[in-house]
Amino acid sequence: MEFFSVMLQLWNEYWKLFLEGLGMTLFMGFLTVLLSTIFGAVMALMRRSKWGIGKFRPLNAIAAVYVEVIRGTPILLQLYFFYFMLPQWVPFLELTEFQCVLIACCVNSTAYVCEIIRSGIQAVDFGQTEAARSLGLNGRQTMIHIVLPQAVKNILPALCNEFVAIVKETSLASTFFVGELMTQFKTIQGITYRVLEPLTIVGLIYFLVTFVMSKLIALLERRMNASER
Amino acid sequence: MQVNGEKELIQVVDLHKSFGNLQVLKGVTEHISKGEVVSVIGPSGGGKSTFLRCLNLLETPDGGHIYFEGTDITDKKVDINVHRQKMGMVFQHFNVFNNLTVGKNITLAPVLLGKKTQAEADDMAKELLERVGLSDKVNQYPKKLSGGQKQRLAIVRALAMEPDVMLFDEPTSALDPEMVGEVLLVIKDLVKTGLTTVIVTHEMGFAKEVSNRVLFMDGGIIAEKGTPDEVFNHPQNPRTKEFLSKVLY
Repeated sequence: MEFFSVMLQLWNEYWKLFLEGLGMTLFMGFLTVLLSTIFGAVMALMRRSKWGIGKFRPLNAIAAVYVEVIRGTPILLQLYFFYFMLPQWVPFLELTEFQCVLIACCVNSTAYVCEIIRSGIQAVDFGQTEAARSLGLNGRQTMIHIVLPQAVKNILPALCNEFVAIVKETSLASTFFVGELMTQFKTIQGITYRVLEPLTIVGLIYFLVTFVMSKLIALLERRMNASER
Repeated sequence: MQVNGEKELIQVVDLHKSFGNLQVLKGVTEHISKGEVVSVIGPSGGGKSTFLRCLNLLETPDGGHIYFEGTDITDKKVDINVHRQKMGMVFQHFNVFNNLTVGKNITLAPVLLGKKTQAEADDMAKELLERVGLSDKVNQYPKKLSGGQKQRLAIVRALAMEPDVMLFDEPTSALDPEMVGEVLLVIKDLVKTGLTTVIVTHEMGFAKEVSNRVLFMDGGIIAEKGTPDEVFNHPQNPRTKEFLSKVLY
């Protein structure tokens, strides 16, 4: 079949480009998850904070609005927005295109990670908190010694799934040619005037990576459930 | 502020509590003396559990005062955590710490709150576990325990703080029938030591046997109170009579 022989030919010729793209995709995904885990945790704390005047809790309100807005708008729009907004509003930072796109990805992912962490904490039976408080532990001690260790089991697998989702979403960054896997498809398409063959190769790579990661996550989940038994 | 001298361990004055529009406690006044064993009985929704949970402020009362060892713990300036250390609580659903081993369940609070070193706490945990027949489980996680074992663990976890009063919130209601006995036995042994105890329970025979006083709660108030003989054998209030006729057969 011509299709497969062309694919093979393209792979032999451009495998380095594909792998570079994959490297970039994973790098972006990893950096995004890492940063948004930090910011998402802070955001989740804000979301849970009871600090405020009367019924108005400003930290909670800011976090709630942030999460709703980010989850209620398309990620491609957010990418465009930050791509054009950052160089205009903060030109002194001299951000590269890649950095702008990465920031947009983090802003997006932070909202989702915030919800992952928040619901992970919420899923821990409230009786655990009551028991700890009834022994005289304060809120902070209860959180550190009882709630968080149990919440991590809910949070970690969900975070890994978010990583898988981000790896796929970074393909949208190819709109700005930042060098990840989808960008490499466009590059090779431009050189060879072939569309379906390089697209299939890129698709296969995405699938292989996410498939392997999903299997690893399932393994991790089983392992975590096996402890404490 | 000291109320009624030394003997009163807990003094409750005109306690009110609502959940939304539902008024659960409509002015409860009661006192618990040192060394007393008080059972709280009554129909579901009568306010028994809410009353008990107010005693250590797991529920924040809307009105009234609670004096514990002479201190008004409903005062916002009071550090409730200090007082909770002296009030052990046992829950209907056990609430043992799932992320800690049986031993750690017991030693966490005394060590964290500076009452004991880890070594001292470990020794005490060993002793307490022996007392309730769980010595061989010290390094296991609660997942492996049966309901009755979990509840026995929850009881000694509270005892490890060496409390001045124990509060039991329907300790056997979530247990399989064949496990009720083993938990009641532990509580029976406990009240023999003279520890002040308040038990919310549906086990009428048990309440009759172990308590010095019985409170019958219905409709958010204490409708009747007295010795077990008075309340169970000669109830005065028609609501008490009706309730007892339904549960004693």
